Amino acid sequence: MNVIEIKNLTKTYGKSRGISDISFNVEQGEIFGFIGPNGAGKSTTIRTLLSLIYPTSGSATIFGKDCIRFAPEIKKEIGYLPSEVFYYDNMKVKELLKYSASFYKKDCSKRIKDLAEIMDLDLNKKIDDLSLGNKKKVGIVQGLLHEPKLIILDEPTSGLDPLMQQKFFELLEEENKKGATILFSSHILSEVQRLCNRVAIIKEGKIITVEKISTLQENNYKKFKIETKYALDKDYFQIGGVNKLEVNNNVISFLFRGNINTVMKKIAEIDIANLWIEEPDLEEIFMHYYEKEA
Amino acid sequence: MNIFMHELKAYRKSTIIWSLSLIAIIVIFMSMYSSFAEDAEDFKRILENYPEALRNALGFNQENFFTILGFYSFPLSFITLCAAIQAMNLGTSIVSKEVLAKTADFLLTKPFTRNKILTAKLLAAFVSIVMTNVVYFAAASFVALQVKTDDFSLKIFFLLSLTIFFIQLLFLAFGIIISVIVQRIKSVLTVSLATVFVFYFVGMFSDTTGDEVKRYISPFKYFDAAYIIKHSSYEATFLIVGAVIILLAIAASYVVYNKKDIHAV
Repeated sequence: MNVIEIKNLTKTYGKSRGISDISFNVEQGEIFGFIGPNGAGKSTTIRTLLSLIYPTSGSATIFGKDCIRFAPEIKKEIGYLPSEVFYYDNMKVKELLKYSASFYKKDCSKRIKDLAEIMDLDLNKKIDDLSLGNKKKVGIVQGLLHEPKLIILDEPTSGLDPLMQQKFFELLEEENKKGATILFSSHILSEVQRLCNRVAIIKEGKIITVEKISTLQENNYKKFKIETKYALDKDYFQIGGVNKLEVNNNVISFLFRGNINTVMKKIAEIDIANLWIEEPDLEEIFMHYYEKEA
Repeated sequence: MNIFMHELKAYRKSTIIWSLSLIAIIVIFMSMYSSFAEDAEDFKRILENYPEALRNALGFNQENFFTILGFYSFPLSFITLCAAIQAMNLGTSIVSKEVLAKTADFLLTKPFTRNKILTAKLLAAFVSIVMTNVVYFAAASFVALQVKTDDFSLKIFFLLSLTIFFIQLLFLAFGIIISVIVQRIKSVLTVSLATVFVFYFVGMFSDTTGDEVKRYISPFKYFDAAYIIKHSSYEATFLIVGAVIILLAIAASYVVYNKKDIHAV
């Protein structure tokens, strides 16, 4: 079942670009990554899903219901964390969270306590006095306190130190295990790689590809680096599927895409001192998509 | 209900301050009444030397200026001006407050319709205004009863005071419509002061000519104290025009707010 279905969603702002003809689905129970650089249209898509802005054309459904027409009903089960959090400055953290909880018809007080403990958040401080990172924590608790079935995160990690980021990811994984679907927008690929099952890559308002993270990596090249004992003929590895061949004395490096056995046979025939085979990380794949399109 | 309570709490301080200020003004003015009444004859003579246009603009033209009700209508126009600023501030801040504090995302991703949110906020502003008026009227009538030299109609005193409330409703409505139409209001106070003063001065100028039609331009002129004192009622056409303006402005605000894109900050 699809939790989010986006069909040909387009939003134009006057002359400037918004998003055009975006379509993808997010399945129940997955952590879906939404990546692209700043200004690619991630927030525009998300804000449309939350009916903060209205689409120029196209539509989207959440839990099978139109995200504009049934907005209030849908939002009962959505937790949203924006990239920058702003709250009523003169309130205490506790008051703000209570206010936030009062919009959902359930008792969230225990949950608030638990989440604050996990995120190491002082409930008695004034929001005004909080640092950026601590405000972010308020945002996290605020977004999760009603145990939403769909969690929408728009570049959520800015301002969090690595330790908190780790705790936050663990929290998200736990929510996911309990059944929550997560839409995770980011321009930081390592965090998407760490968390997500599938990913949509967006560029200049258009979706370039929607893939499983694993497929993205499989279909891609592998990085070879070989150290030989004796100098080799420069063109020894000049075979089909090899790219960016570099020979530097006894160190040979290249990218390979294709049947891995052909390379392995070539390697077996020579006397090697050391060997590294690496999966490209998402960053490299991502750059690859961007270069290809450009 | 939660938004309503939250908003009411947010307005509490400013409502108290505005109420106390209005009361301070009326107490100061009314405490001058007894000495003023004693010197009534001298004042009359001085005023006769003023040009008629100026007398009209300042509101000195009523025969009953030297009764307590006539005297009351003088500070009343000043109090109305202040009260209008309060109402306009409330109205304008209903939506722009959330934009300025960047809390609109928080509120609008909650499971409420925009209609419900706007209604709750509107009601909270309305209640703040009602409270201001109740407190003000209690204080003003108390002071008036203390300083009176002759008996006066409390009903007319009430009718006069109630004009503050009507004018506040008008400016509340102006404030809301402006705040939903303008994408981003940098300073609520600037907008409300400018609007209120423009209407106030337009009202003063329409007074100098005595042109009936021009009275429709400024809400400050919808309620003529002399007329109210004489007939102990309001002028029906202006009441209707006022009500229509309020309803239209609020209805339009709902329509615009519902269709509005809430942009990221």
